[in-house]
Amino acid sequence: MANASAVRLLGQENYERLRSSRVLLVGAGGIGCELLKNLVLMGFGEIHIVDLDIIDLSNLNRQFLFRQRDIKQAKATTAARAIEHVSNSKLVAHQANIMDVNQFPLAWFSQFSIFFNALDNLEARRYVNQMAQYLRKPLLESGTAGFDGYIQPIIPGATECFDCTTKETPKTFPVCTIRSTPSQPIHCIVWAKNFLFSQLFASSGSMSADEDLGTDNVEEIERIRQETNELHELQELIRSGDKTRIRDVFEKVFVKDIEKLLAIEELWKAREKPTPLYNFKFDEKINKNLNTVWTIQEQVNAFVLATEKLMQRLSSEKQIEFDKDDPDTLLFVAAAANIRASVFKLPLKSVFDIKQIAGGIIPAIATTNAIIAGLSSLASLRVLNLLKNQPKANPTELNMAFTAKASNMSNNRYLSNPQLGPPNPRCPVCSIARGVLTLSQNDLDTMRLSELVGAVQEKYSYSGEVSVLDKSTQRLLADFDFEDLLNKTLAEVKVARGTILLISDEQDSEESIRAPVELYIEQGEPEGINLPDIEVPLIKPAVVEPDETNSEEGVSMPGEIILDEDDKNPKKRHLDDASETPAKKALKTEEEHVVILD
Amino acid sequence: MAAQARMRSAKVLLINLGGLGTEIAKNLVLSGVGFLSLVDNHDVSEGDLSTQFFLSKDEIGTKRLDSAISRIQDMNPRVTLTVDTEDFRQKPDSFYGQFDLIIATDVSTEEAIRVNQLTRKFNVPFFLCGLNGLSGFIFVDLIRFDATDEKLKSSVKTPLGALSQNREVVEVTEYLNEEQSEVYERIVTRNAYKPFEQVLKEGTLKGKLTKRQVKRLTNAVPLTFALFSYRDGYAAVTRHDLEQRATDACVQLGLPSENLKQEYVEQFSQQAGLEFAPVSAVIGGTVAQDVINILGKKQSPLNNFIVLDGISLDMHIFEL
Repeated sequence: MANASAVRLLGQENYERLRSSRVLLVGAGGIGCELLKNLVLMGFGEIHIVDLDIIDLSNLNRQFLFRQRDIKQAKATTAARAIEHVSNSKLVAHQANIMDVNQFPLAWFSQFSIFFNALDNLEARRYVNQMAQYLRKPLLESGTAGFDGYIQPIIPGATECFDCTTKETPKTFPVCTIRSTPSQPIHCIVWAKNFLFSQLFASSGSMSADEDLGTDNVEEIERIRQETNELHELQELIRSGDKTRIRDVFEKVFVKDIEKLLAIEELWKAREKPTPLYNFKFDEKINKNLNTVWTIQEQVNAFVLATEKLMQRLSSEKQIEFDKDDPDTLLFVAAAANIRASVFKLPLKSVFDIKQIAGGIIPAIATTNAIIAGLSSLASLRVLNLLKNQPKANPTELNMAFTAKASNMSNNRYLSNPQLGPPNPRCPVCSIARGVLTLSQNDLDTMRLSELVGAVQEKYSYSGEVSVLDKSTQRLLADFDFEDLLNKTLAEVKVARGTILLISDEQDSEESIRAPVELYIEQGEPEGINLPDIEVPLIKPAVVEPDETNSEEGVSMPGEIILDEDDKNPKKRHLDDASETPAKKALKTEEEHVVILD
Repeated sequence: MAAQARMRSAKVLLINLGGLGTEIAKNLVLSGVGFLSLVDNHDVSEGDLSTQFFLSKDEIGTKRLDSAISRIQDMNPRVTLTVDTEDFRQKPDSFYGQFDLIIATDVSTEEAIRVNQLTRKFNVPFFLCGLNGLSGFIFVDLIRFDATDEKLKSSVKTPLGALSQNREVVEVTEYLNEEQSEVYERIVTRNAYKPFEQVLKEGTLKGKLTKRQVKRLTNAVPLTFALFSYRDGYAAVTRHDLEQRATDACVQLGLPSENLKQEYVEQFSQQAGLEFAPVSAVIGGTVAQDVINILGKKQSPLNNFIVLDGISLDMHIFEL
């Protein structure tokens, strides 16, 4: 069944190319769900969806492929199943981490014509960007934060890559940190506001007994029922209006749920265990000073007081939304966050501080995700040169796009659409010569780091000392004053399939040094060590300023690099400052405490 | 939150559930609009399956709305949905008076003018949007709308008075933020709108754009305008005729007609009215975002005409 509109837009020949294209979608969250729908409707031949996450209650109001019955299911597989009914594409879902080199070695990425990033974290974005650079495959990068969003096509070798400019993406927290293992007060505030409060007061979501659960597995149905029952048990208590039941709510949230978490022992191997709030009591002592940190008993009393008021209000208001300027909702969130913080042995905060932080939490906006995903899929057609009537575009004639009106940056532009810039010659990622080095297991087990370094020095004509950095873990393996690991085997220094080694000239020369080279370690059965034939030019060394924070190789590293071996002598190098880019602006927000929930 | 409460009590009418209507319905239902009425009398066709995701292959020939409704409701049980499979053109005038906001998709120019006349009569905000292949447009008529924006006060006070043809600052109040440390301004901007018919007749960009903006303006703008002149649909569109009309549109809009490029004329003549999923997503997302904004009575709304060029991703807002 041909897709009539795609045929008219692309022409028959390009449509056939689209049908035979295999594409990779990384992320099945807010942008990912929308993007998957678009790619399916456009008619791409085969779409692989990779996401490690499972569906959380808080996803449902914007990730439109997910329903309440899907909670705790894998995002990737659920999304694929949910769009199947209109799909003529082969859909392949992977519940996995895109950075897992055993499941997704470099060679696996090479089967795709294009990668779509629909990610919520910097690390994975950088990783896919790097894979795109190794394979010279186009990447469509995208991101949203509240009403701000951007898309950026990346054509390796021809346009700016993701790391050509310093990125300042807002903090995001994984769901499990919020729900199970908070380690900062803000995690407790996010939990209180976006999970506990919204579950108790903001959602109704009744589930009827005969709802289609999408499975026939008896055990599975039982599990979903239990999950759903637990969800609604608390709501029922709240909605009963019976104030004597607040004790039950309190006990469930701050004692029983914590006990359940404690039972999962592996969570606490490297973390301090929480202590359930046993023997709690309610009394009348209410602290009214919003600028001081209250005692735990005052928090407990405030929780009871706020819950009573909100229960009362529910009888006339169908549901209540959190609003930092609504004192009942604020008091509830502040008290709940502080009690949880105390259970997890974290510092408590004043109501006023919590008001600031909770007000700065930027919710993900469904429409922004929809617009950005639309632009991303649209832009891919030009990147892949699939449009009829359009001559093949020079990569730097392609456009990126970011929200302008919604970001309060313009009154007469809904989007800004600058053309793509050329690669930054000082980019820590794409300016570096790179290649793949295939080694056998035997090589890894027996070859010493010094042998590999020697071979590299000879092959690429490094005349003096070099440093070796494991980019995957940011560990320094060797440099001029750190030679402890040179006699160890590659396996001993944890070089394995998927390791990326960055070799840099450490020669102290003012004239010229050899450019750095990056090697992706692939595992196979080669004959001997065949370092890739790549040209590694001589470059002028960067002027080393007295300030130690400047990078030494003439290229800056993304983030900090910390010397391994028990961090005895932390050696840090910092980011260069780069000029403000549209993408950066699009993601920049005024508040200091910024949390994006996705 | 007052804005949330207004959202939940709002009654919205969405005309036609094509690709664009589907995107708008999805976004409004997810956002928790209170009442959404859908009117669409079409049957599911094979073409629908490449633009819509609430339908499925085995439903060809059934009413689009009947097929889609359970999947729409499934996204958010709290929204009250009303389904109407009659032809919206057969509805009595009074039908349009019962809504707080009306969105028309996939309608001809003639139909858009009529619905807009009725939204004016009943004082109801109106959105019109449509797709032309890789391009899409939005027209907005809120009649009159006072938007409130808040911002940190700069060294000079925001002056009262006209900002542009359709926008005027009518009130500025200063207030201190919570820490009592900084002065903010609450700015009320009055947005005036014109009916669609008047914009088609008189709308112009003369004097509103810089030379550079005129030079770089996408051909999608005069071509979208030219397509409006086919009052009853696009059956009569030919490349030559469209080029003529685009030249006329350039004259009215105050744009140099020599900037019209052959490949754009070709593209629009072949893709008039054609729906395409990614463009639906962008236009449908933009309309829904502004509808949600207006129902919550928050920031400055769109005023009043937007065109997306799906090739360059240019998306300007014009006051016509």
